[in-house]
Amino acid sequence: MHPDDGRVVLAGRDGWTRALRSSVGVVPSGDRSFYLRISGLENLVFFGRLHGFSRRDAVARAGELLARVGLEESARVPVGVYSHGMQKRLSVARALLARPLLLLVDEATHDLDPEGSRRVRRLVEASAADGAAVLWTTQRVDEIRGFVNAVTLLNRGRVRFAGSVPRFMSYSPQQRFHLRLGLERTATAGEPLEALVAPALTGKGTLRAAEEGHAGHYLLALDDGVVLGDVLASLTALGVAVLTCTEEKSEIEEAFFALTADAGT
Amino acid sequence: MTVVPQADELERRLAEGERRGAALLGEVAKIPAFVRRDFLVALSYRAGFLTDIVGVVFGAFLFYFIGRLIDPASLPSVGGSQLTYFDYAAIGVALGPFLQIALSRVASVIRQEQLAGTLESLLVTPTAPATVQFGSVVYELIYIPIRTGLVLLVLALGFGLHYKASGIPVALAAGLLVVPFIWGLGLMSAASTLTYRRGGGAVDLLVGVLTLGSSAFFPLVLFPAWLTSIARVNPLYLGISSIRTALVTCGGWGPLAGRMALLAPMSVASLVLGLVAFRLALGRERRRGTLGLY
Repeated sequence: MHPDDGRVVLAGRDGWTRALRSSVGVVPSGDRSFYLRISGLENLVFFGRLHGFSRRDAVARAGELLARVGLEESARVPVGVYSHGMQKRLSVARALLARPLLLLVDEATHDLDPEGSRRVRRLVEASAADGAAVLWTTQRVDEIRGFVNAVTLLNRGRVRFAGSVPRFMSYSPQQRFHLRLGLERTATAGEPLEALVAPALTGKGTLRAAEEGHAGHYLLALDDGVVLGDVLASLTALGVAVLTCTEEKSEIEEAFFALTADAGT
Repeated sequence: MTVVPQADELERRLAEGERRGAALLGEVAKIPAFVRRDFLVALSYRAGFLTDIVGVVFGAFLFYFIGRLIDPASLPSVGGSQLTYFDYAAIGVALGPFLQIALSRVASVIRQEQLAGTLESLLVTPTAPATVQFGSVVYELIYIPIRTGLVLLVLALGFGLHYKASGIPVALAAGLLVVPFIWGLGLMSAASTLTYRRGGGAVDLLVGVLTLGSSAFFPLVLFPAWLTSIARVNPLYLGISSIRTALVTCGGWGPLAGRMALLAPMSVASLVLGLVAFRLALGRERRRGTLGLY
């Protein structure tokens, strides 16, 4: 696609030149980007030749990459027989053929199971460790946690956010946690727990029962700027045993909604 | 996770990329990869190859038996030689599928890549779009003439064609002259396919009209006089009639010089127009970001 506006600069050079294209690897989002009637090895060799490799070099590089993405045993099997996850790994292998400076990954995990997604992310992480810059586009916003070091949120063609993941998460309006509480050290005398702890949580947050029929399960909503540990300490001081504490909703997803709310999404 | 390589490493890799993708020679070196790819794909459809050959043989039988019903005296002589109908139509029988496949294949290459989902993957490689287009039809260009030659050989041995081997060089030259014309049409059709997604119908119509007026299966004198005059400048007529005359009379270049002189500029014009149309269509799709849609 040609840009309507602006420039794309890679390594100080702009323009979509052939040399730049040879330094960019692309993992497309589509699940049919290979010749399904021929093997994974032949596919990689073909694309390697298009990157300017001699046949001998292309075969060697393809073999090396197939091993790296765990497809060496399926190298001579037609791609049409590959599972979805295998095709995606083959796609990553193709993107790495020319040892790219920049890896463009377009929703590579949107239709993979968690195991498949993790394998693809690890392959891309390894490529980044080898020196490639990675531009990873995704609609599964949760997967950026612990995986990327900078986020740009695009919504309706506009940049809504650009910065680090922790800063992105700070846009989550309220942190909510699912708590499982033990009451053995608390003399409630029939009084609801949330009423008992309410005075201690004033200015810090609110606690309410999660659902009927799930005794001991509560939802804790923290007020802005309150540290979770302080609230848990308050509960413990009252004799409430905090058995488990998990984030009720993804902060990343909440941040996404907060940042895009005014755009009507 | 984003890691920016050191400046000298960037320069080294970019230089390596430039070296690998070096200009024309680099592009030419990629063509065998397309041929191998298409050969392997064709090989995976073994039944398709067999039905193709069987279809041609059945077609030959059809014309052979029709030819027995037609009095050779009702056909115009070619270079002073009187032909049977089968002698007359054999060129059309052999070249007809060539024209159909060559035209439709060139037109459908991009669409097939679109349908297969591979087009964007091809175009993000450091490969010129023209190389993708050309490379994708080279296998057909090698296979179809071999197939056509085999068909003519089978017709000659099985049905007794009265052609002269000494006319083959001139016939080949005439064949080579008409190929760029067909390519040009194919590229225009490919441009139409890229832009409107459905370019095949227009190509089929055009091929039908051109084939009808090509003298492939019947002489032009059967047309009304005004239509015959138009058909005599049909590039397919100029090509097919030249090939037929060369194979039947073996009269050398002289008798065909006029037709070839007329055919050559039309072939060049068709090819240039086709290339321009294809480049414009490709540029438009890339600007719109809709190249991979179908």
